[in-house]
Amino acid sequence: MDFQPDLPIPISYVSGRYLLFSIDAVTYLRREHNICGVLIGTLPQIPQQNVFLGLPLELMPEEARLLVDKGVACIVDEAKAHDGMNTLLEEDRRRYLRDLESQGLHVSRIQLDRKERNREQTLKKLEEKKAKAKAKASAAAEAPTVPEEGTSTPSPKNAAIVDLFNAEERSSSPSASMSTPPQAATAITPATSYPPLSTPSPSSYLSAPAVPSSYPLFAHLHSKGYFLSPGLRFGCQYVAYPGDPLRFHSHFLVVSYDWDQQIDLMDLVVGGRLGTGVKKGFLIGGPQKGIDSVDSEADRVDTVRAFSLEWAGM
Amino acid sequence: MADVDEEAIQVPANAAAQPEVDLSDETQDFRFLNHLNFFSDSSPSIPRRGEKDFEPNPTELQADVLSASRGAMHNALSYPRLHGPKTRVIAFYAPDGFVPPAQIARPTPKAGEDEKSSESTPKPARPLPNSARISPDACVYVPNPKGQLFKSMGQADSSSRVWLLPEEALYLIERGSLDIRWPSPAGSTAGPGEEDLSIPMSLQAAYACFMGRGGLTLERYSVYTGLKRLGYALIRAPGWCDDIEHLEADASDASEITSPKLHGPGLAGMLSSLFKWIHDPHSTASTATGPIIGTGIHRHYMDVYRKLAIIPWYDPATASERHPSDTTAPFRVVFHVYKPSTPFKKSAPPPPDFRVAVVSTRDQTTMPTMTQLGALLESTPLDPPRGEKMDRMMYMRLRHGYRNVVMAVVDQGVISYLRIADSAFGKEKLYENKGGPQGPKRGRNQKTRKR
Repeated sequence: MDFQPDLPIPISYVSGRYLLFSIDAVTYLRREHNICGVLIGTLPQIPQQNVFLGLPLELMPEEARLLVDKGVACIVDEAKAHDGMNTLLEEDRRRYLRDLESQGLHVSRIQLDRKERNREQTLKKLEEKKAKAKAKASAAAEAPTVPEEGTSTPSPKNAAIVDLFNAEERSSSPSASMSTPPQAATAITPATSYPPLSTPSPSSYLSAPAVPSSYPLFAHLHSKGYFLSPGLRFGCQYVAYPGDPLRFHSHFLVVSYDWDQQIDLMDLVVGGRLGTGVKKGFLIGGPQKGIDSVDSEADRVDTVRAFSLEWAGM
Repeated sequence: MADVDEEAIQVPANAAAQPEVDLSDETQDFRFLNHLNFFSDSSPSIPRRGEKDFEPNPTELQADVLSASRGAMHNALSYPRLHGPKTRVIAFYAPDGFVPPAQIARPTPKAGEDEKSSESTPKPARPLPNSARISPDACVYVPNPKGQLFKSMGQADSSSRVWLLPEEALYLIERGSLDIRWPSPAGSTAGPGEEDLSIPMSLQAAYACFMGRGGLTLERYSVYTGLKRLGYALIRAPGWCDDIEHLEADASDASEITSPKLHGPGLAGMLSSLFKWIHDPHSTASTATGPIIGTGIHRHYMDVYRKLAIIPWYDPATASERHPSDTTAPFRVVFHVYKPSTPFKKSAPPPPDFRVAVVSTRDQTTMPTMTQLGALLESTPLDPPRGEKMDRMMYMRLRHGYRNVVMAVVDQGVISYLRIADSAFGKEKLYENKGGPQGPKRGRNQKTRKR
């Protein structure tokens, strides 16, 4: 689970947006770098809902920039990288297809195995029921003590399929003992294109993403351990979570201002009331130095000051 | 945790019927997915929200729960897109867009004839009735379409291959319903083994190839899939292309046919009363010099109220229809959306239930101006509030408005939907309402708003 991907992690630059397709990169960045992004894809196992979403993960330009500045990630122009698909050698194609087929066979075997087990379980249950009925009917005097068999737990079965794609290859799978060979391999749509494409060379990396003027505040809060996600839906620029949003409610509604910018008092009132109304603080902040007075963005991040407003006596 | 409890109290038992908490609003704990059996025959139901902690503390318990959540998320996200041998639908990527099915001839019933003969007798001379309808943006074709999903997607050509638009193809590959293949390498051997070396397209490749194609942006796609996942049917609206001008002719014809001007007697009456007010010879009122109400004799409060209505308003029912090309770039209808209950035929789409404009917060950082909003609203057909319920309930009438459009604001993958309606506050004369206000807080400070 604690998988360490090769650094730098390539972030796909697709049509002006920053996306991640590799699940290992997504979990790694979440675990080690407090970068959550927003999942925008459909989960193939439950496609007709919007509560749980899947890959790809969309990163804000701020998040991508932060990772690039840290040296953790690089930006790859994915459209250009996929031009390499046409020049793929025939043997590479064959090898890749063979790999996919063997994975597909593996999946088929697991599925078949599971079907088998399910059938056995239902048969067993049926038999138990019959036995129970018999016992009840025949011996009213004797108390029937039929041992309750544990019901099937679905998660390990799911895990089996998933594990196949986590680890490179499981040598001893539960299906190894299968006697009936599966009729056809299950076709698979892979999540990423690497392989068959080879990892892009450093010379093809794009430059660091352009970021809005709120970046220093974003980077500042991130350096303090906050998890940030886009916040327009909640009436702010970012929502700041004290820990992983999977487990924690957010604490702050964040809006960035320039240091010399005039702030409309109404904005403060509105933000403060909104924040207090949803049990969050309204946080404003910004760098004290302008872009012209420092050498790099990093210097500005150090000069950020943040203030939080709370509505007292409501 | 406290607010979760409060919520549980406030949300009554009928919450299931009318979910007020939008679960997709918040990051969900993926551990819930563990409780779902993806392989059961019945469709899995979504669990209700779980409890979250207020802030991190250094306890083992919290660390364990968090890592369990992350593990569940990892498992859920790494679940592969599989195509069983029976349900598999194969498609091919055509980087150059739609190609008439001349050279890739369908295998004719006469299997004895070899392929060269069918190649030498192409059939482009035959009129291809469907080909004209296939969008130039379509770039994926499905030779053998099957399944429910194609009922609202794709366009069939004359050899019954279904051509998919980039967003349709991407949606299908993402939900694991389509196996898209790269085109075979140019130099490969043709013949029976032609498709053998075609590599399946990865999700990443599909994004790289389809995104940005034919005007598809990630924001538009997010809205498309977001609504698709909920069961809506979506088609592109005429405002999809940034250069609408060349579509002008047919589009304006269509709008004239579909939306005849509505001049009801009620409207005429209202206008005449307006004119009567303006040209009232007895009126001594003047907003500049004297009392607004004037010094005449007023026998009825109605007269007084009528005179007090000094703010001009406009009647949306009489506003001029505008063409989509008058609208400015993001504030333009790009999708026609149909409810799942609407019978939808992709060859002849009915009038849409919703019209959706898509705005990206990173490209458009300000609110739309009045002009932009006005043009957007006027590019939609007149949809006055009708029906028994609307006649009875004024506030429903106001909320419904005379024209409406849905604006999907996409903030880095997070979508908010805003419904914008052109309400006619000026048409609702509260003082003429004999029954008086019917409910709490009604009608006290109604302002005549233009929009």
